[in-house]
Amino acid sequence: MHGAAAIAGIGESTYYRRGESPYTEFQLACIAIRRAVEDAGLELADVDGFVSYLDQRNNPVRLARALGLKELRWTGIPWAGGGNSMAAAVQVADAAVAAGYARHVVVFRALAQGQFGRFGQAGGSGGGGGGYMGGPFAWNGTYGILTPAHQCALHAARFMHDHSISQEALCEIALACYANAQRNSRALRFGKPLTREEYHASRWIVKPFHLYDCCPENDGAAAAVVTTKERARDLRHRPAAIVAAASGIGPPYGVFDGATLGSAHYRQVAKHLWEHAGCGPDDVDVAQFYENFTGTVLIAMCEMGFSSPDGIEEFVSGGRLVGPDAALPFNTSGGNIGEAYIHGFEMINESVRQVRGESTCQVKSVERALVVAGPGYCPGSAVLLGAPQ
Amino acid sequence: MKRVLGESWAVPSLDSHNRDFFTKGVLTLQRCTQCKHVQHPPEDVCEACQGFELDGFASAGVGRIESVAVVTQSVHPLLADRVPYAIVLVSVEDAPGILVAGNVVGSDADAVRIGDRVRVVFEDATDPRSGEKLAIPQWEVIDA
Ligand SMILES: [Zn+2]
Repeated sequence: MHGAAAIAGIGESTYYRRGESPYTEFQLACIAIRRAVEDAGLELADVDGFVSYLDQRNNPVRLARALGLKELRWTGIPWAGGGNSMAAAVQVADAAVAAGYARHVVVFRALAQGQFGRFGQAGGSGGGGGGYMGGPFAWNGTYGILTPAHQCALHAARFMHDHSISQEALCEIALACYANAQRNSRALRFGKPLTREEYHASRWIVKPFHLYDCCPENDGAAAAVVTTKERARDLRHRPAAIVAAASGIGPPYGVFDGATLGSAHYRQVAKHLWEHAGCGPDDVDVAQFYENFTGTVLIAMCEMGFSSPDGIEEFVSGGRLVGPDAALPFNTSGGNIGEAYIHGFEMINESVRQVRGESTCQVKSVERALVVAGPGYCPGSAVLLGAPQ
Repeated sequence: MKRVLGESWAVPSLDSHNRDFFTKGVLTLQRCTQCKHVQHPPEDVCEACQGFELDGFASAGVGRIESVAVVTQSVHPLLADRVPYAIVLVSVEDAPGILVAGNVVGSDADAVRIGDRVRVVFEDATDPRSGEKLAIPQWEVIDA
């Protein structure tokens, strides 16, 4: 049954620029998990499950041993893609706790690209020169379509073309993330405001994306403790109820075909999320949207039901996303672009802060806080947190 | 024709799914022998009838640009002197519903537009391991 679990504790490491973490990725994971457990008012030994996403390298058995768990009885990782599974990871923990398979499941994401290399760089392997593009990479890599930026630019370009969306709409997303990050001392862009002029003057990465349309790559970790609603009530903080979560796709299933070009793959997620939650976009008090790239966020906003594609430019313009009193308070910690790119998990923690009333960009009396995971990849996922019932 | 991204850029690692596409010199797409469904990229199973018997369909190679982005910052040292280059997704007239990725030959990257009609052309390459000759599909605008 959905609605049976809640997030009782959150934690994170210090966030670092890519390659600047003094800790290994595994140490970063341990820091975030320990802090989330402490925040909940629990002991590490109480944890009995781990869930992550995106080919997480920090094996749950290794974590259980290093952190001294009494027992490990639930592990899970949602299949496929990357940041698109961020909210699905919370859903997996939610399901485990609701079914009684585990009692305190920690969902986390850790990354140290200094240690393990970058996501935003790519090339062939083996052979001479540029090497070979094998398997699925042959179809795109042969043509220099190499990074998520390249793929998402193709979706964004088509969406912009079909709905007469200008570069300014993309700029508004970046400006909102930077503006909100100026309130948040955890944010890597804290004290580094961005102006519209700087946005437009920044170099192109892949048109239609300027530098500031792309989230940075960072090192760090974030974690959250999922437990039952009843258990959470007895713990230290006001719990953030998991009101509903959804993940999935299809049909159509194509990542790149005539039917899905210009899509963020969120129509199916929206349908199930709002159905389970028994509410809709109008009931959302604050929303975090995973910005891998600004252009794909615009598509996700439309597919989640916040605007029509033809109205999205107006929807995001004129400061309508900036600050706690915005028409739609958006990425209130700064998000991937402004706070840190922890594959979106920092947005789960920010939503919990919003429900608790502890954000640095606090929206008044938050009843519903939405997190939408990475757009442009599938299956997508989203989770709606809420005030405890 | 010379390679758009340079003679030393990566070549596809040939396998049973992509060999025809990258070697035939004709735009060859996967088709189900039973129900004639054309799909791309190729799969072990027909997505329409779940049949296992799949062969190649020779497309006339005429289509339309459905999306274009211009890569401006190189993400690989071998592409440093190749930017800006256009990356495109092309719909093919005789195989509706699918998109084929590629680059554009003979146009400035910034001049390529969604809606441009294109035809397939082939760039010559050699598999450095096997010496096998490749004919990699690319696209040329026929009327903008
Ligand atoms: Zn068939």
